[in-house]
Amino acid sequence: MLSVSNLHATVGEAQILKGLTLEVPAGEVHAIMGPNGAGKSTLSYVLTGRQGYEVTEGGATLDGEDLLALEPNERAAKGLFLSFQYPLEIPGVPALTFIRTALNAQRKARSEKEITAPEFLKLARQKAAELKIDFEMLKRALNVGFSGGEKKRMEIFQMAMLSPRFLILDETDSGLDIDALRIVSDGVNALRSPDRAMLVITHYQRLLDYIKPDRVHVLAGGRIVASGGPELALELERDGYDRYAKAA
Amino acid sequence: MAAVKQTVDQVASLEKYKHGFVSDIEQDFAPKGLNADIVRFISAKKNEPEWMLAWRLDAFERWLAMDEPDWAKVNFPRIDYQDSYYYAAPKEKVGIGSLDEVDPEILEVYKKLGIPLREQEVLAGVVGAPRYAVDAVFDSVSVVTTFKKELAQVGVIFCSMSEAIREHPELVKQYLGTVVPVSDNYFACLNAAVFSDGSFVYVPPGVRCPMELSTYFRINAENSGQFERTLIIADKASYVSYLEGCTAPMRDENQLHAAVVELVTMDDAEIKYSTVQNWYPGDPVTGKGGIYNFVTKRADCRGDRSKVSWTQVETGSSITWKYPSCILRGEGSSGEFYSIAITNGRQQADTGTKMIHLGANTRSRIISKGISAGRSSNTYRGLVSAHPKAKGARNFTQCDSLLIGKHCAAHTVPYIEARNGQAKFEHEATTTRLSEDQLFYAMQRGLSQEEAVQLLVNGFVKEVLQELPMEFAVEAQKLVAISLEGSVG
Amino acid sequence: MSVAAAIRTRDVGELPSRRDEDWRWTDLRGLIRVLPAPSESFAGTLAAGPFDRLAIDHHVLVNGGDARIDVAAGKKTLAALRLVSRGAGAHASRVTINLAAGARLRLLESYESDGASVCQTALTITLAEGAALERIVLAEDHEDAVSVSQAEVRLSPTSDFGQTIVTSGARRQRIETRASHPGGRASARMDGVYLLAGKRHADHTTVVTHDGVDGTTNQLIKGVARDQARGVFQGKIVVSEGADRTDARMGHHALILSDRAEVDAKPELEIYADDVSCAHGNTVGAMDEEALFYARQRGIPEAEARAMLTEAFIGQVIDRIWFEDARRVVRNWAAERLRV
Ligand SMILES: Nc1ncnc2c1ncn2[C@@H]1O[C@H](COP(=O)(O)OP(=O)(O)OP(=O)(O)O)[C@@H](O)[C@H]1O
Ligand SMILES: [Mg+2]
Repeated sequence: MLSVSNLHATVGEAQILKGLTLEVPAGEVHAIMGPNGAGKSTLSYVLTGRQGYEVTEGGATLDGEDLLALEPNERAAKGLFLSFQYPLEIPGVPALTFIRTALNAQRKARSEKEITAPEFLKLARQKAAELKIDFEMLKRALNVGFSGGEKKRMEIFQMAMLSPRFLILDETDSGLDIDALRIVSDGVNALRSPDRAMLVITHYQRLLDYIKPDRVHVLAGGRIVASGGPELALELERDGYDRYAKAA
Repeated sequence: MAAVKQTVDQVASLEKYKHGFVSDIEQDFAPKGLNADIVRFISAKKNEPEWMLAWRLDAFERWLAMDEPDWAKVNFPRIDYQDSYYYAAPKEKVGIGSLDEVDPEILEVYKKLGIPLREQEVLAGVVGAPRYAVDAVFDSVSVVTTFKKELAQVGVIFCSMSEAIREHPELVKQYLGTVVPVSDNYFACLNAAVFSDGSFVYVPPGVRCPMELSTYFRINAENSGQFERTLIIADKASYVSYLEGCTAPMRDENQLHAAVVELVTMDDAEIKYSTVQNWYPGDPVTGKGGIYNFVTKRADCRGDRSKVSWTQVETGSSITWKYPSCILRGEGSSGEFYSIAITNGRQQADTGTKMIHLGANTRSRIISKGISAGRSSNTYRGLVSAHPKAKGARNFTQCDSLLIGKHCAAHTVPYIEARNGQAKFEHEATTTRLSEDQLFYAMQRGLSQEEAVQLLVNGFVKEVLQELPMEFAVEAQKLVAISLEGSVG
Repeated sequence: MSVAAAIRTRDVGELPSRRDEDWRWTDLRGLIRVLPAPSESFAGTLAAGPFDRLAIDHHVLVNGGDARIDVAAGKKTLAALRLVSRGAGAHASRVTINLAAGARLRLLESYESDGASVCQTALTITLAEGAALERIVLAEDHEDAVSVSQAEVRLSPTSDFGQTIVTSGARRQRIETRASHPGGRASARMDGVYLLAGKRHADHTTVVTHDGVDGTTNQLIKGVARDQARGVFQGKIVVSEGADRTDARMGHHALILSDRAEVDAKPELEIYADDVSCAHGNTVGAMDEEALFYARQRGIPEAEARAMLTEAFIGQVIDRIWFEDARRVVRNWAAERLRV
C-alpha cells in the first residue's frame, strides 16, 4: 500500500527527514512514536504535499503510484487522508458545506457520480450520530470557536464521511477526553478493512489500547530507528527514548 | 502673597520637570538670525573643509525655497526663524578626550543629570553593571566623548560629528545625506544647513560593539536652536546599541530642536537605537515655553538580513513631530519600532513610523503605546508600504491609546499601501480609557490612586519598556510616572 | 472644489487630486484631462435594475436629475433607487431622503453605467428619532466610467442606520458616506464589499462623527483585488469631546490575489473623549495558505478551494445585511464575480 523509501526532506533551511524508509501493507495499522521535533508531522505533510516541504531525495508511493508528483487534492482523491495535529479554522464556511464540496470534488476526480443533497444529509446524520456529534455544530463555520477536542472529533467526522483508503492520524488523541477517545477510536476502527491501511502518530500507549497496531516504529532524528510489534510501544512507555537518541 | 504663591508653583513644577535648571555658563553665540553668513560662520567655527561648507550652503539655498509643513495634527504659532540663535557653544576651549579641560560648570550639569562623563565613574558603579560610552552634546557642540580608546581597539569609531568631518572625511562623504537627503523635508533641510554637532559611529565588519553607546543632548542657552546630526554605520555583520537622551531647561520661549539621524546597516548588521526624550514640555497650564521637537530619523537597511530597531520613550517637548523610519531595501531585512509617547498638560505629539518594504521577505513590527492626559493631544501616524518587488513582506502593527481625563485627545492615523499579492500586513488599534474597575481593584488592595494609575500605565507600556536596555528601562519607567503626575483626580 | 462643481463648470481644476489628503489614492485631476460634454437626456427603454423585483417604490434617474423619497412617521416602505448613466457624458444627480419619526425604509440603490461617463451623485439622508434605514448599494459601473457617490447621513437619537455597499469598481470610483451621529442609542453599520478585477478601482470612504453620548458604530469592509485592480478604504471615526460611552469598531480586510493588484487603507480614529471603546483592525494580504492546503488535503482542487474561501471571506459581510431577499441578490451577484 504505502511505501516510503530513503525519504529526505527539508523545511525552510532545515533538513528534517534524513533517509526515512517505511512499508505499510494494505490491511495493516502502523504506529509511529518518537520524541518531540523528531519529524513525525513533517512526514505527514510531505506525504500529503504541503507547500514548503521540499523532498530532496528518496520517494513515496501509494499502491505503486508516485505520490510526490501529485497535487494535494489529487492525493486526497486517491484516498489519502490526514487528520491534522492542529486542525485549521475555516471562517465563513459551514462544516457541512465544506465536507460536501470535498466529497464531490473527490468523486469527480475519480469519475464517480456526485452525491445528492438528501443522500449527503442522510449520511452526515448517520455519521454524526455514530460519533456523537451534535448535528447543529455541523452548520457552524468549520472549526471556528471549536474546542481542541471538538476539532479532533470533527477531523474524524470528515474522515468517516470521505472514507479514505490510507489514513494518517497525527496525534488525534491529544486533547480528547476519555469518552471521546473511545468514540474516536471506534470511528477509526470502523474503517479498518483489508484494502485500507493507516499510520497512527501518537505519544501515548493509551490510544494503542483502542486502535491496536500491527507494527510500531520509532522515528528519531528524521529516520525510523527501530521497528517492532505492539510490545515496542509498551517498552517505550516504560523506558522513554533515551536508547534511541543515540541511534538517531 | 503673590510672590509666595509663585515660589510654591515654581517648586511644584520643578518637581515635575527635574531637569529644568539653567546653568550659567559662558557661551559663544553666532549672531541671532539666519542667512548664508551664519551658515559660513558655523562652518568656520568648526574648522570645516570646503566641501562641507558647500554642502551646507546648497542646503540653505534649498531651504529658502521650501514651505513649512502644516499637515501634522499639531497647532503652534509660526516660528520666527530670524529670532533664534543657530550656534551656541560653551566659551571654554572644548577638550577632546580630556575632561580636565572642560568647563567645570558643564561637568556639574551632567552630574546633576546623572550622566557619567568620567570613565571611572562608570566603572565605579555596581560590579557587573553594563558600561556605556557617552558623547555629550551641550547646545551646539559635543563636549566630551568617553571610552574612545577602548572602542578604537576593536575598530569602532565613536566621536562627535565635527571630529568625524575632520578625521574621517571619506566615511562622512560616503554616507552623509544618503539616508535623509538634504531636501527631504523642511526641518531636515534646515538641519543640513546649520547643523552644529552630533555623534558619529562606525562599526567595522564583524564587530559586536563591546558596550552601549550613548549621546546626551542638552539645550541650555536661551533662544537657541539645536540642530544635531547623527550618523551611524554598521558594516557587514556588526552590531551596535545606541541610546540618546535629551533634556532642556525651563524657559518661557519655545526652543527649536530639529535633529537628523541617519542609520545605515549593511549585510547581516544590526543597529538598536533607543531614545529617551525628556525635553522641557512647557508650562502645563498655559502651554508656554517648551521645546519644538521636529526630528527626522531614518534607517536604511541596505544589506540583506540587516536589522534596525527603534525604541523611543517620548515624554517631553511641547510639540513633537517625529517618525523614525526604516527603508527595508536588503532582502530579508527587518525593521522594528517600539514607542511610548506620553502627553500631558498642553503637549502635542504627532509621532509614528514609516516602514517602507522594498526588498523581498522584509519584515517589520510596530508597537505603539500612546497615553494622553491633561489637555494634550497625542497622534500616532504611520505608514507601512510594500512595493511590487517586496514579495513576502510582512508587517504587524499594534497601536494602543490610553486616555486619562476628559479634555485630552488621541488619534490614530495609519496608512497602509500594499502593492503586491505576496505581502501580508496586519494592523490592530484600540483606544480606551484607564479602566475604572481595574483602578478600583488596585485601590481596594491598598494602592493610592496615583500608585494604581502608575501600576496600570506600567502594564500598558510594558511591551515597549522591555525593548530598552536594562538600565534605561528603569529610568524610563520613572519618567513615565513623573510625566503623569497630577493627571488623575 | 468638488466633483459636482467640476461637472457643472467643466473646469478640470475643480477636480480633487492626489494632493488633497482626502483623495490621495483616488486622483481625478490626474486622470481626467478634459471633462466630457453634459450627458444628453435619455429616451430609450431601460432593462430591469438588479433590485426591481424586490421593491414597491421605484425611483429612476437616468443621466442626472433630482429624486426625493419621503417616508411619513411610523410608515414603512421598500424603495429601489436606480442611478443610471447612459453614454459617455457628464452629469450629476441629487437625491433627498427623509425618514420621519419611527419611519422604516429599505433602500435598494444601484449604480449602472454603460460607458465612459463621469457622474456624481449627492445624497442627503435624514433619519428622525426612532427611524430605521437599511441602505443596500450595488455599484455595477462600466470599466471606463468615473463614478462618485457622496452621501451625507444625519442620524437622530434612537435611529438605526445600516448600509452595505457592494461594488465591482470602475475606471475610478469613489463611494463616500459621511454620517453625523448624535449618540443617544442610535446605531450605525457602515459595511462594504469590493470585488475588483482588470484595471478597476474602487474607493470606500466613510466618516462617522459621534457628537453625543451612547452611540455605536460598527463597520466591516472586505475586499478582493485581482489582476491590476486597486482597492482603497479610508475610514474615519471621530468621537467629539463629551461623546462618552461611544462604542466604535472598524474592520477592513482585503485579499490581494495577484502580483500586480494593490490595496491602500487608512483606518483612522480621532478621539476627543475618554470614556470610549474604539478599535480598528486591518489586514491585507494573500489568501491564507494553510487554510488552502487544508481544503486541498480534503480533495478540493485549488481553484475551487480559492473560490470557496474567497466567497466565505466576503460572505461574512453579506451575512450582516438585515433584509434577507436583498442578501440573496447580493450573495448571488458576488458569487458570480468570484467564480473564475
Ligand atoms: N518552517 C520550519 N523551519 C525550520 N524548521 C522547522 C519548520 N517547521 C518545523 N521545523 C522543525 O522541524 C522539526 C520536526 O518538526 P515536526 O513537527 O515534524 O515534529 P514532530 O515529530 O511532529 O513533533 P511533535 O511530537 O512535537 O508533534 C522540529 O525541530 C521543528 O522545529
Ligand atoms: Mg507533530
